[in-house]
Amino acid sequence: MNMWRKMILAASITTILVISGTMVYYRYFLKRGLIISTTTSLYDTGLLEVLEKEFEATHQVDVRIISAGTGIAIQHAERGDADLVLVHSPSMEKTFLAEGVGVCRKIVAYNFFVIVGPESDPAKINGTTPVTALKRIVDYGRNQTNRIWISRGDGSGTHIKEKSLWSKAGYNDTELSREAWYASAGSGMGATLVMAEQFSAYTLSDTGTYLAYYKAGTISLKLLMSQEKDLLNVYSAIAVVPNLSANKTVHEEINFRDAIDFIKYLVSDEGQSTIEYYGKAQYGESLFHGAVKLLAQNSTSEIAQWIRDYAFFNGTECPPEYRYNQTDLYG
Amino acid sequence: MNEIFEGLLKAFQLIFSGDPTVFEITLRSLYISGLATVISALWGIPIAVFLGLKDFQGRFFLKSLFKALIGIPTVALGLFFYLILSKSGPLGFLHILYYPTAIIIGEAVLITPIVVSFSANALEAVSPEIIDLAKTLGASEDQAFFAVFKEALNGILLATVASFNRAFAELGVAQMIGGNIFGFTNVLTTTIANETAKGNISLSIALSIILLTIVFGINLIVDILSKRRLEIWKWRAPHLGW
Amino acid sequence: MESPTSWLVDLRNITKIFNGITALDNINLKIRNGEILALLGPSGSGKTTLLKILAFIEKPTSGEMYFEGRRVADNKDALQMRTESTMVFQKTAVFNTTVYNNVVYGLKIRGTPKSKISEEVKDALRLVRLEGFEKRHAKEISGGEQQRVAIARALVLKTKLILLDEPTANLDPKNASIIEEIITTINHELRTTMVMATHNMFQAKKLPQRIALLTDGRINEVGTATDIFGSLSKTLTSFAVLENTFKGTAKPTVNETTLVDVGKGVQVEATAKASGKVSIFISPKDIILSKRRFASSARNIFRGRIAEISDTDSVVRLKVDVGKPFTVQITKRSFDEMRINLGTEVFLTFKASSVQIIHD
Repeated sequence: MNMWRKMILAASITTILVISGTMVYYRYFLKRGLIISTTTSLYDTGLLEVLEKEFEATHQVDVRIISAGTGIAIQHAERGDADLVLVHSPSMEKTFLAEGVGVCRKIVAYNFFVIVGPESDPAKINGTTPVTALKRIVDYGRNQTNRIWISRGDGSGTHIKEKSLWSKAGYNDTELSREAWYASAGSGMGATLVMAEQFSAYTLSDTGTYLAYYKAGTISLKLLMSQEKDLLNVYSAIAVVPNLSANKTVHEEINFRDAIDFIKYLVSDEGQSTIEYYGKAQYGESLFHGAVKLLAQNSTSEIAQWIRDYAFFNGTECPPEYRYNQTDLYG
Repeated sequence: MNEIFEGLLKAFQLIFSGDPTVFEITLRSLYISGLATVISALWGIPIAVFLGLKDFQGRFFLKSLFKALIGIPTVALGLFFYLILSKSGPLGFLHILYYPTAIIIGEAVLITPIVVSFSANALEAVSPEIIDLAKTLGASEDQAFFAVFKEALNGILLATVASFNRAFAELGVAQMIGGNIFGFTNVLTTTIANETAKGNISLSIALSIILLTIVFGINLIVDILSKRRLEIWKWRAPHLGW
Repeated sequence: MESPTSWLVDLRNITKIFNGITALDNINLKIRNGEILALLGPSGSGKTTLLKILAFIEKPTSGEMYFEGRRVADNKDALQMRTESTMVFQKTAVFNTTVYNNVVYGLKIRGTPKSKISEEVKDALRLVRLEGFEKRHAKEISGGEQQRVAIARALVLKTKLILLDEPTANLDPKNASIIEEIITTINHELRTTMVMATHNMFQAKKLPQRIALLTDGRINEVGTATDIFGSLSKTLTSFAVLENTFKGTAKPTVNETTLVDVGKGVQVEATAKASGKVSIFISPKDIILSKRRFASSARNIFRGRIAEISDTDSVVRLKVDVGKPFTVQITKRSFDEMRINLGTEVFLTFKASSVQIIHD
């Protein structure tokens, strides 16, 4: 059928036109793109939008941010689909550097995870340490019938932190999860907080999400523990190595140049102060703190030491073999 | 209940104040899903013609296959495309991951089975005499085919609209291969999902209302048009018998 | 021997085979300019196929076709020829749009200027007695009106040849007779050559100038009505396969009617006068079907059983065995209400005046 052939031809031509037309537009008429892969807990606070705006004001780049769980954020980079990652899981970051994909790691910010729970605090964890708090929660939980602990249960950075805390307290969280009082949400932070609210239970949360939900009145759980060494949350920026694989096209496409520029921006005075002041107006307190000054001056502050203990590899934020000759980043 | 009411209020605020972000997101959704629909129609209709009008071995099986593919889970398709379009995947050299183009292609593939199945049924339902009728009135093969096509037009239109609905309101594909990049690939559905996770419930409700209104509106317009049996379409193609 | 130019169409040795089935076998037929030719034969005899070939929408497997003296050679010619002849189908086909759009379809394909179109349409609709129907939707009018639209659609093209495939087969008597009148009018007013297929002997006697008898894809005989219905020995056999046609012996009765004995104990009373060897024919539409014997003025009542049931568009045709097989036609609604099945005992009633007698 002649007509049929014409239709197929029209379809093919249109498809090719659409694909090539749009791609030509996006790649040649828009600015060069820098793809940053980050975690939901960081992205959802809105900090990155502010940083993006500032950076784009002085650089000819289109910053595109993709947020996912920590594990996937790193996977994106491993596949070559991102130029820079911003994550908060030192163990994963170490592997990321070791496998030769991540380079030029800089610790840019820190804050604390928080343990939140019902105002009545039935397990009496307020005023104790994280490890003690968890032990008390376990005891309390086993002596009653409700669900009193909600876990992220989704392999995210927050969940990994939670697992490490359980481990430090001497428990195997997989076994604990089978007990009646322990509920695994398998969801993002927001949904987990809502669940905790419903059950009047305790949970581990990042500062940003908790404050956002609390201020919106979605939850009334109270912050019962923070500012503890064990609850330290450290954010790093890691660039992706340009010659990622033998595949030449992939190599050409990693935007290493702009990634390094962005890292430089993050650790600059301007970037650091933006990070430091973010959220103050909205929530009355900063959601994040800049880490650069703290670490650079070899300061003896307690927090600086905590960061070194928790997030340094071989005594440095980025071992020299992973610095890819970017000496100006490391003073 | 409170939140829903707040959401409604916020929706009106956003729409009538002409909030630029909402506007931009809506336009992007329309543009992406619209192009996806166009592409899927261009491919789907000839496939439907083949499936509906030609008799061949394995026709039954192929028809069943397309019917089943209508219900593909969007996340599964999204994952599939993500792996293919990733820089380390077979089509990575195209570099279309995280560009709107990727979503257009992904959604087009998602909805093509809808166009194919419904259109094939519509074409099959046309009386076989129509071809002979057209020919005996002087039509060439092409013109006769067009007459059959015109008889099935209502059904084909329905198919196209249904496929647009699915593309416009789907989340999995847009999320996975678009990345919900703010200002670049965020569409209504991905924004709703994200804002909900962040706790901005009233914004999500507002966007949901907008999404539903658009879907409803488009459907209504098309229903009215087809009820008048396309008589108001003033396309003049007399040499084809229109 | 008439000169070749008075033949519109000349078919020589036309054969058509579908998937190993021979639909037409060595057909030789000439169609005269301006005549109405009837193709008479039972269903399956190849009438539709022959018409389609004359309409150039079906290609013969072998043989030659001459149109107005010129040979129709291949596909290109056929496409051109399609504008010279057009066909009205047995199963009414209308496009899913207004009557007007249906009728203009062919004109639009030919590129007729817009100014002329609406005049032509009006004329055509007038001829088929559907004035003012332009804006009506073709699917929403009755079957008879649809068939008339189909005829108007064909008329408006002013083709040299119009083919009609059993145009009144599925219609009620009123519409059927309107269409028969239209056919005659068209032939007289426009001098259009028409070939119509029918298995209704009555129609075959009334309308055409010539008749061609067709059985099993072969032409048995061609001639005028007088020829065909006059000479018997050959045609008798062919008539036997047409519905409700019986051979018998006629005897006048005391009531000035004729009683025809057609065998197997079946005696039919007719008002027409005849005696000796005759053939009789009763139209299926003239026969009343009932489940109980009822009193009426009709002279012919027979009891029998349902032997065959077949569904068409608007009517249900039943074969009833009363000794001899009679074909009866009833509406779908009646069929449902009467709850008839194969083997049901029924009664056939028809008037003596419905019996047509052809003398042997």
